[in-house]
Amino acid sequence: MNNLILLVVLPLITAFLLPVIDRFSTLAARWSGPLVLLITTFIGASAWLQLGTGAVSLELGGFRPPLGIVLYVDQLALLFAIAVSFGTLLLWPYGNRGGLRQQTLTLLLAGSGSGLALSGDLFNIYVFYELVAVVSYGLAVSLRTPAAFAAAIRYLIISGFGAALSLAGIALIYDATGTLNLAQLAQLAPEKLNDLQGLSAFVLLLIGIGVKAELFPVNTWVPEIYATAPKRVSALLAGLVSKLAVVVILRLLVLIFPQPEAHTLLLVLGILGVLTGELAAWRARDLPRVLAYSSIGQLGIVFIAFSVPGEAGVFAGLAMALHHLLIKPALFLLAERWDGSLAGLTGAAKASPLGAALFVLFSLSLLGIPPLPGFWAKLLVLTSLAQMGAALYYTGAVVIMLGMVLEANYLFRIIARMYQKAPSTGTPPGHGRLDLAISSMLGAGLIAAVFLLAPLADRLQGIAAQTVDVNQYIEAVNPVPTRNPI
Amino acid sequence: MDMGTLMFAGALGLMLIGTAALVLSGHLMRMVFGLALLESGASLLLVLTGYRSGASAPIILDGVVPASMVDPVPQALVLTAIVIALGVQALALGLVLRVHRAYGTFEMREIRRRMERDICDQAGLELPSSNEVPEPYPGSPKPQQGEY
Repeated sequence: MNNLILLVVLPLITAFLLPVIDRFSTLAARWSGPLVLLITTFIGASAWLQLGTGAVSLELGGFRPPLGIVLYVDQLALLFAIAVSFGTLLLWPYGNRGGLRQQTLTLLLAGSGSGLALSGDLFNIYVFYELVAVVSYGLAVSLRTPAAFAAAIRYLIISGFGAALSLAGIALIYDATGTLNLAQLAQLAPEKLNDLQGLSAFVLLLIGIGVKAELFPVNTWVPEIYATAPKRVSALLAGLVSKLAVVVILRLLVLIFPQPEAHTLLLVLGILGVLTGELAAWRARDLPRVLAYSSIGQLGIVFIAFSVPGEAGVFAGLAMALHHLLIKPALFLLAERWDGSLAGLTGAAKASPLGAALFVLFSLSLLGIPPLPGFWAKLLVLTSLAQMGAALYYTGAVVIMLGMVLEANYLFRIIARMYQKAPSTGTPPGHGRLDLAISSMLGAGLIAAVFLLAPLADRLQGIAAQTVDVNQYIEAVNPVPTRNPI
Repeated sequence: MDMGTLMFAGALGLMLIGTAALVLSGHLMRMVFGLALLESGASLLLVLTGYRSGASAPIILDGVVPASMVDPVPQALVLTAIVIALGVQALALGLVLRVHRAYGTFEMREIRRRMERDICDQAGLELPSSNEVPEPYPGSPKPQQGEY
């Protein structure tokens, strides 16, 4: 359990050592990244078996919290830390695509992403968040086209704006409570952050971290970056990075800001995200941007789910988030060779029958067709919304269903094109073997989830119950109030 | 007005100026400078949370603890924040240089227009126009000219 810090440290060290290793042996440099990610995945998985349903806090350097930095390990944190290691391993730039720079950045993303998932300290979250942000600017310009640089600077400005706002939010929280340890904040929040200052801090942090989570007003970077970056990078950003930001927002919401106003704000922003995302996806005319806008819509549903207080909302939101984490990278990998206009996809099924079949499978699940996991996730969201019985929550449910109608329209439009007779001008290209293999693997995972639905749902419900258990968090970290010498 | 209130007002003012530069100026360099101002304002706000009127620096000399000292934690935190902000600004300037080399302008509106055109060119699409409609289902009857 103590070796979990390796999830953060090992990829970071290897990333910085890669250029040195490369001088001695190119082959060693090329394989050390996947090897490290394999090791961290293994460490995470063995810790998962060991952890059971408990929660542990690791004190770094032996300093006691609240002043010392802690890693908080519960099922939620560990699940996403493993997802980061495994996800970056799957989406690794194999075959030396993009060279050393890509490998270094991907490793940095793995290390800082795990740190973001595991951190139990608000300032540490800020630091890891900035690390993830800087790495994603680097990944976004991998193709080095003028459009990619322009998209990246626009992304950097929005993201930097968000980071400065979250820093101001952190300042407000420290001003009110005198601590940044999440467990101690959870203790103090009902008394000290239950006012206008606390609410402003929440808004600042939500907007700040929401940039990465594709939250409604700060997501203008999404279509630009996903259209100009290689699809492997889009898959990483849409699949992993956005989910890490979602986890951070969930933690803050549960531990520090359980006020009804915070939930209402999240609900409204989520509704706007679904509406704008799905409408824009409906209008988009190339596959990468359809996927980018639909990703905004899906994350909107996640935020709508989190706005339902208590275990039900967290359960539904996590189901949506994990479902999206599984299928969006696969869809982006399929879009690698299909990145032209939608009209150019006519007859694509002929050139790549397996790719088209997988696209249909993922589209159906994205839409929420019954036996597939996407249906159950959306059903959970809708039932939890219906149980709230308030007008705004009903609006959320209606908007989600409206979004599904739009999704059905634009996804089936694409599928219909794919299975049309190919034009005489030539068919769109088939898929790369690696992209197809990884998508098939994710597709197999999706189908396996259909058969393992009951145990998976039970486990996920357990995770949700643990996530909303504030007392367990406080007890596991057990912050000892420091003697204030001032 | 005491010193603390004045400095808090200054921090918020810096953030406001920075945000205004980001939102109102369409010039890429000014936006990067606005970002720098915004980040400085946020850092100042953070370090001010440990401010106490008339207190000394949190340094213990020869075992003598000062009677009143400012909170050292935000000072340690803000050091990290400043370093991060510096790194991001350097990266931003690098990207600005790249964009300027490619497009020859700092105007955000122009950069955005050309980026959109590049993206559409690469996807083999016409630039979207305001009366754009989604393409019809394959096989469905074509909309009449001028219907929309």
